[in-house]
Amino acid sequence: MNLPSISATSGIDPAQLARLGSLAIKARVIVEGALSGLHRASVHGSSVEFAEHKEYSPGDELRHVDWKAYGKLDRYYVKQYEQESQLTVYLVLDASASMAFTGGATMAKLDYAGLCLAALAYLVIQQGDRAGLLASGEQSRDHAPGPGPYRESARTMVPPRARSTHLHDLLGVLDGVIKQGGAGDASPAAALARISELSRRRRALIVLASDLFDQDDETLRVLAQLRAQRHDVSVLHVLDPHELAFPYDGLTQFEALESSQKLLVNPAAIKRDYLERMGAFLTKCRGTLAAAGVDYHLVSTDRPLDRTLLDLVVARSRLGPGRRAG
Amino acid sequence: MGFLAPLMLIGVAALAVPIAIHLIGRRRARIVKFAALDFLLATKRRTARRFRLRERLLLLVRAIACAAVAIALAKPYTSCSRKGPQVQRGPQAAVLVIDDSFASGYVVDGQPWLRRATDEARRILTQLGPEAEVAIVRASEAADHPTELTRDHLRLRDQLLALEPSARPADTTRALARASQLLAASSHSRRTVYLASLLTKSGLRPDDAPWGKDGPALVELELRPSTMPNLAVTSLRVDAEPGAGLRGVAFDAEVANFGDVPAKVELSLSIGDRVVARGAIDLAARDRRTKRFLAALPPGTRATDASIAITNTPGDALAVDDRRWVRASLRDRVRVLLVDGDPRTVRHDDEVFYIEAALRPGDREDSGTQVRTITAEELAGIEPRTRGKAGAIDLGEFDVVVLANVAALPGERASVLADWVRAGGGIMIAPGDRFDAAAYDRTMLPLLPQSLRDPIDTTWGATAQDRDSRALRLVKWEADHPIFAPFSKTAPELANAKFYKIALLGPTTDTSDRNVLARFNNGAAALVEASIGAGRTLLFTSTLDRDWNDLPIHPGFLPLAQQAIRHLARKHVGSSTADHMVGSSVVLATPDLKKLEVRGPGGQGAIFEGDRIQGRTSVRFGRTERPGVYRVLGTDATGTTGVRDELAFVVNVDPRGSDLAPAPATALPASGTGGGGAPSDESRRIELWHALAAALLLLLLLEGVLIQR
Repeated sequence: MNLPSISATSGIDPAQLARLGSLAIKARVIVEGALSGLHRASVHGSSVEFAEHKEYSPGDELRHVDWKAYGKLDRYYVKQYEQESQLTVYLVLDASASMAFTGGATMAKLDYAGLCLAALAYLVIQQGDRAGLLASGEQSRDHAPGPGPYRESARTMVPPRARSTHLHDLLGVLDGVIKQGGAGDASPAAALARISELSRRRRALIVLASDLFDQDDETLRVLAQLRAQRHDVSVLHVLDPHELAFPYDGLTQFEALESSQKLLVNPAAIKRDYLERMGAFLTKCRGTLAAAGVDYHLVSTDRPLDRTLLDLVVARSRLGPGRRAG
Repeated sequence: MGFLAPLMLIGVAALAVPIAIHLIGRRRARIVKFAALDFLLATKRRTARRFRLRERLLLLVRAIACAAVAIALAKPYTSCSRKGPQVQRGPQAAVLVIDDSFASGYVVDGQPWLRRATDEARRILTQLGPEAEVAIVRASEAADHPTELTRDHLRLRDQLLALEPSARPADTTRALARASQLLAASSHSRRTVYLASLLTKSGLRPDDAPWGKDGPALVELELRPSTMPNLAVTSLRVDAEPGAGLRGVAFDAEVANFGDVPAKVELSLSIGDRVVARGAIDLAARDRRTKRFLAALPPGTRATDASIAITNTPGDALAVDDRRWVRASLRDRVRVLLVDGDPRTVRHDDEVFYIEAALRPGDREDSGTQVRTITAEELAGIEPRTRGKAGAIDLGEFDVVVLANVAALPGERASVLADWVRAGGGIMIAPGDRFDAAAYDRTMLPLLPQSLRDPIDTTWGATAQDRDSRALRLVKWEADHPIFAPFSKTAPELANAKFYKIALLGPTTDTSDRNVLARFNNGAAALVEASIGAGRTLLFTSTLDRDWNDLPIHPGFLPLAQQAIRHLARKHVGSSTADHMVGSSVVLATPDLKKLEVRGPGGQGAIFEGDRIQGRTSVRFGRTERPGVYRVLGTDATGTTGVRDELAFVVNVDPRGSDLAPAPATALPASGTGGGGAPSDESRRIELWHALAAALLLLLLLEGVLIQR
């Protein structure tokens, strides 16, 4: 197998990556080509590596008292250790029909988003953290466990685990979702709400890859809600280049992906209005999420995947310790 | 509607082309699955209706354009049976005769009738097409006529637009004759006269046919209103009225109702610019009556202008003949001493019977002439030795002395007369049987402009049948001279007079400004004028009674005698009392003037100076195109310029033109064959492809605009 070339300037071409075999390989290529070792856990806890001493105070566990120091100094000191925590990462994929759109790029938005999440899963599990997967979409009624207002919209869920064999399972499910293609018009709001229920006692990192084409802005609202619950939230806003530039010309019949609506129109006549509306939509998304403290990345599907992943990781590393989930 | 090339209508099938393109275009639209369709739909909701409308409009425009091309190529036409003249398009000769007489100013529906006529004429001009050679002939009396036909239709249109009602009556017959002459010179076989006229009775002379059988076709434009009532002041004369005071004058205005219903006519008299009297008169249908106004001339003026106007409310439809002007003047009496050289007891045999009657017609006191008649013997009273005695005559009491068939005066008497003439008197000498040329040469030369020779008798030896044919006739006279001002150049009232015996002239005498004013057909002088000092002498070479001629029984004798006497007395009747019509020329005496300016109503006028006035006793002014008062300014030898009230004159419209009664149909000349025959189609064909082509251009323009939107 010829692995795609990696350039410092151009990165991994999504078109070349698409020709690779399994999703696991693609994820590895992305991760290895773009980043390694940028992630570390930093939550203090029980661990095997000593960090520092602290004078005893009532309430400290007796088992942590350093008796050798007591012998030497006749004072009670308690040992503190640097504990390596397990980060829980929820990867949420919008698998609605609109994500199946392929315009100016060789890869559908769903494929692109899936690859990004696969690379993240690979990275997370490689570093011993727990990664889970939720896919929103029309099929959610049959697969979503448990009650809740968004139960019917949770298409696929893989619970977070840290085992290395879990990566195989997760990528297999993700590959299945991608191959099945986008379907339905359900927004990722249900899947996100599900995460909110599952992670009430433990903060998590939630990464959503979606085009955010939501009728009622519910997704944005739930994302803000998750952030309010102190979860760390990142959004990959995946759009096709044609959706951003609308380069169509000549009499064209546009057909909706999530409904049966059709439109015969001269694109030149409505291009300006469309671009104004798209610009307003992007501004709204960016503004709403930024106000809620959500890490927002607008991604065009012709952008190299490793750069997208790198941007995401770099942006996370820039966030202070207070934003790190534990 | 019909088509000249109906096969071209097959092309209408091209209508299907834009429809097919439209439908195929819809089917071949690119299909794109698009995720952000909601954004498109939101945009589309606003523009959808406009887009759909534009698409349908484009389809419609293109379909109509395709069909229009085919239909235009098929040359559609329609037939119109509209009432109106039949006008054929194409090469031809045509004359538009437009009635621009003052009656054409008759207001119909708020605008002059002439505007209706010119509008119709312009429509005909358009229908004739650019290949037609056309001329416009105006039908007012003495109007200038074009010399040739032209294809310069733009200029003709400008002429029509500039046409205004004149102040002259109509002379339609003359205009038709001129139209016929123009058309006769054309090489076209189709020749037509289009007549836009009110067809008044006075404008047509049925006996004077403008063309024969081969004349042009005549198309009469029916533009005359059904009824044309009209009120007019048709005559106005002014006379001294002693009953109204020393400055009293009487104005007699003849007012006519040319309508078919009775009318009460309100009148006003204006002297100068001031209304001094008002009155009313009831007129039956087709009636005319005279209304008299008495007034006094303003103190200090011997002559002024006055006018009588109809002031009915609402006004008359034809206003130009509702006012008539006149010059009112207090005339100076001319004192004349008639010396009868051959008194008779039978009055009409008397030498001065006719001249006396001519100077005092009807023996009226208001004749303006005071006449005293004496015999040749009684003339001895002028000699100084008789002064203070009975029979003495003071020549200072007279302005003019007339020697009628007086034998040669004794030298002393002739000398007294000559002195009197040199001092400013006027003398008129006429020979007769008592005249002796040799005796005249001895004593009378100081009074004569030219010496006299023995008379010749043209009837000597002639039979009674030949007598009239051998008589001499007046054939040439100075029409511009004040004496002949009342006469035209061919006045029959003078030209018809027969002269059987005349005195011949010899060498000129010691006089200045000698001027032969009239001649006989044999070239001999009939009337000779000369200046003697400050006075004037006038020599008539025949008798003043019927012994040598029959002039006294011709109508020209009275005005000739009166004009001659007033000229000698330097008291011209002038132009002021004459009733001048619009278009007539007016003779103005220019005594000792070096510059004369005439100012008419509406700025019309003329200036006579330099060669136009020097050495002349009168000038002739012909630009009397508008009715009203014409004022005269004169500059005398000292360079002083002032208003010459005695020369002012008035001009009025010809009352013949006020009668708007329609001429009978027979008064119009019969329509000729017009060479190619007059158009006979009942309906006219109107070709529509020009309009279709224009519509096609507009459609293409519309399509371009729609595509850009």
